[in-house]
Amino acid sequence: MSRKHSFACAIGTLLATAGLAHAQDVIKLGAAVQLTGSEANTGRYYRDAYRLTIDKINAAGGVNVGGKTYHLGLTLLDNQSDVNLGVRQYVQLITSDKVNFLLGPFASNHALNDSSIAEKYQVPMVQGGGASTQIYSRGYKYVFGTLPPADDYYASTLDMLAKADPKPRTVALVAADDSFDVSVAKGTRNHVKDAGMTLAVDQTYREGNADFSTILAEIKSKNVDAILWSGHETEALNFLRQMKGLNVNPTNYYGFTVGVPTEDFRKALGKDADFAFGMTSWLADASLKDRWFGDAIAFAKDYADKYQYAPDYHAASAVADVETFAMAFEQAGSLDPKAVRDAIAKVEFDSVYAHIKYGPNGQIVLPQIVIQIQDGKVVPVYTDRVLNKAYYPIPPWNRRP
Amino acid sequence: MLLAQVLLNGVLLGALYGLMALGMALVWGVLNIVNLAHGALIMLGGYVVYYCYTLLGIDPLLALPVAMASMFATGYLLQRFLLNLIVRGALLNTLLITFGLDVVITYLGQVVFTADFRTINPSYSGANFMLLGLTVPVLRLIAFGIALLLSSALWFLLNKSGLGRAIRATAQNLVAARLYGVDPRQVYAVTFGIGAALAGAAGGLYGMISHLTPYIGSSLTAKSFVIAILGGLANPFKVILGGIVVGVAESLAALYIGPTYTDVVSFLLLVVILVVRPAHALRAA
Repeated sequence: MSRKHSFACAIGTLLATAGLAHAQDVIKLGAAVQLTGSEANTGRYYRDAYRLTIDKINAAGGVNVGGKTYHLGLTLLDNQSDVNLGVRQYVQLITSDKVNFLLGPFASNHALNDSSIAEKYQVPMVQGGGASTQIYSRGYKYVFGTLPPADDYYASTLDMLAKADPKPRTVALVAADDSFDVSVAKGTRNHVKDAGMTLAVDQTYREGNADFSTILAEIKSKNVDAILWSGHETEALNFLRQMKGLNVNPTNYYGFTVGVPTEDFRKALGKDADFAFGMTSWLADASLKDRWFGDAIAFAKDYADKYQYAPDYHAASAVADVETFAMAFEQAGSLDPKAVRDAIAKVEFDSVYAHIKYGPNGQIVLPQIVIQIQDGKVVPVYTDRVLNKAYYPIPPWNRRP
Repeated sequence: MLLAQVLLNGVLLGALYGLMALGMALVWGVLNIVNLAHGALIMLGGYVVYYCYTLLGIDPLLALPVAMASMFATGYLLQRFLLNLIVRGALLNTLLITFGLDVVITYLGQVVFTADFRTINPSYSGANFMLLGLTVPVLRLIAFGIALLLSSALWFLLNKSGLGRAIRATAQNLVAARLYGVDPRQVYAVTFGIGAALAGAAGGLYGMISHLTPYIGSSLTAKSFVIAILGGLANPFKVILGGIVVGVAESLAALYIGPTYTDVVSFLLLVVILVVRPAHALRAA
């Protein structure tokens, strides 16, 4: 071996050891999230919350795994709102970027497909973007989620309506045809029946649809008491605007699965957003204590200061995902994927999002808080009891202040 | 009554679809460019109106001419300095370059406008009145009127003005047109500018009726494509009629088959037209 060659070898070994030492200090989390494309508007919650939480945990000294301190790192890819690209990127994250553990994308249809990669490679994924029960009905062992089951999104709402005066008798259910909304619609049909109401209109529309005039004409002709709507934010926006344009007034109530808790939605609609009911699994509340952020109010402030917009439940759920890993690493005392997976299944802690504890299928169970936009503000009105007085029944469009 | 309301909704919406397709049909007919960035131009027009309304306080309907003027300039410059270089290349080249333009405009759109969704929401946006027992949304009726107005204006421009004759001559026989002193580079740029201006007007109305994000373009391009083929490339009124046919077909499909199938129906119409009357569909202006 020439001297030059052995020198190169030495340098190479040195670099390799340095790389190894570095890799030991950092636990790499990976995710492919919607940073561009039609879902970028919601995808940013995940990007920003992942980063903020990881920075916060690192600033507090990182995590202690079996007596050794590690920092968390993040490899974030842009899935361009494309499910197929997302799946390929999760394979890339595991096989070539060599991340240790996986965080999730936004939305059920993404999580449904991406989680199969986690299961295939037996790398734990904790995801806060997919609520569809389809994700958890496949017997997967390595997938955990912090959004409550989509089937029950309308459970607390229908509980509230069943006790309301006047109680709605006929209901229109309008839902998109993607994984999340199909799951919502399936569960809601049962909840409507249990609440003793009749489903007068039950329509599914194509995801991304912007024109609801036909569905609205049908709802108007059936003169329903309540509209339960499930879909994506821009569709909710169009539905509500077209309700006004076509002067559709359900007797008592209309509500949306998404949109209502989001700042953009209220900004885009202005006064027309008032009275709309919605739901959220999270509201910034001082009773939600957290090891790293203090409480949910402090988290919301940190987040808004750093990113110049308010967090909603997507962001809080993403925080819980990162924290789940931090807690599980410490409890497992090891970075072995199987050991961490078992620790996640057993983990139990308080976070800015909720009290975290995963069910046997991997999904968290949380009640949805019924909210209403009152005078431009989001007001929580009901969970299993009345929280604040709702403006109910919703006044028709032409009789509003 | 339900059927009458659904038909009315379909006709009003369809006219706006027609207006969206008008610019695409014009550019396609005259320049033989299938402009895949057409939806992105509609999106840009929408944002011009949005900012005129939110930043400058100009009523969105009055801001439509502003959007048309600025989109005319954008279209003119795009054609003059970019697309003219390849206008006589193979169809695949123009498809590729307009596809690239679409991607570039969309992503620049996200950088400049962010991915936030927005609406143009003037006080009259939800106004409506009753006519013969039907609810008529005022804004959609206005959009219908503007679609008819702009298609009439385009018809007059093409058929009764010197510029229109030059545009049609260029489309029909380039060599003969040049022998008569027409400068095709200029005519192409003006035509593309007019197409972009029409897209701008459609975008403003779309933002008022629906919503804006940087990503609305691709689905609007697809819809415009179907309508341009249905309506043919020769007559602006037929393009609006094509839009109405699609609007009504979608509404009836939503009523009788289910709202999941609206897109299937409009693309099925496209297939049928291409099978039954292919020559008619693609006859140029």
